[in-house]
Amino acid sequence: MTRSLKVGGQLVALAAVAALLALLVWRLAHQQHAPKVGAKAPVFTLDRLTGPGAIDLASLRGKAVVLNFWASWCGPCKSEAKVLERAWQRYRSQGVAFVGVDYHDVTGDARRFVAAHGLTFPMVEDGSGDVTSGRYGISQVPETYVVGRTGKIVVHIAGPITSPSFATEFRDAIAAAMRS
Amino acid sequence: MTRVLAVAAAALALAGPAAACANPKTSLSYLEGQIMCPTCHTTLDMSEAPAAQAIKAQISRRIAECWSAKQIETELVGNFGQGILAAPPHKGFDLLAWWLPLGGVLGGALLLAVGVWRWSRTQEPEPPETEHETDPETERRLDELLARLD
Repeated sequence: MTRSLKVGGQLVALAAVAALLALLVWRLAHQQHAPKVGAKAPVFTLDRLTGPGAIDLASLRGKAVVLNFWASWCGPCKSEAKVLERAWQRYRSQGVAFVGVDYHDVTGDARRFVAAHGLTFPMVEDGSGDVTSGRYGISQVPETYVVGRTGKIVVHIAGPITSPSFATEFRDAIAAAMRS
Repeated sequence: MTRVLAVAAAALALAGPAAACANPKTSLSYLEGQIMCPTCHTTLDMSEAPAAQAIKAQISRRIAECWSAKQIETELVGNFGQGILAAPPHKGFDLLAWWLPLGGVLGGALLLAVGVWRWSRTQEPEPPETEHETDPETERRLDELLARLD
């Protein structure tokens, strides 16, 4: 009887260790990484930040898309906002879609940010970060993806597009996205 | 004159929220321990991240509007999802987070008790051996031997 109890205890301990190992492997296998350039941009449907309804990224297939991830509490996002709005005004007539994804933000603050910076391109909110962190592997904002007409990522800019090194890259990426 | 106006405006700005709620239903210090910073995954009281600061400001606004802790938490869950709460809710699948540790402790205590009980049983002293009765012949011979020794 004592022997069976001992064996039972050992089995339980082994099962617990196996479960913990399985959890570790699962976690490592499901770690989120930023999608690579050339890969399909992960699709999502998120509620609009201002106004009713939602935006489905898949519905923009056939257009070049600029996906900008931002938050009202993010300092560099403030300086980037004007540049993005200017780019939107410049490229919207050429069939380029801009979508701002507000990340981990208080909705009221985000709406005030949009109004204060006069942003007119469509905005969606990702308060939980499921899309931003979960599908795009982003942990810091701002970041921008330029997606081609076929839905493939043309460029990923990790940082504000206002920095001199990124400004040219951003412009060239939009041109490439319109061609692809 | 401008200075007086500025001071008056500042006083109004400070007095505004206080006047809006004379008896706040909760406090920032309480909620800071209940709400997570979404970008740094610690509670708000452990974080100075910009996202945490924004949430603290929002909580302060709601407290000034006389919102209860429950109302504020509900709004934040609507905004950021369930992960914004430091403790899982007491319902559905999340109940497991509360009951599993308790079950583990109770199970461990039970196993320990059974083990100790079994161990103590194996340590009990063997019953003393019963005295062998000697037959009369052996008794007689023993007596003879003892008499010879005397």
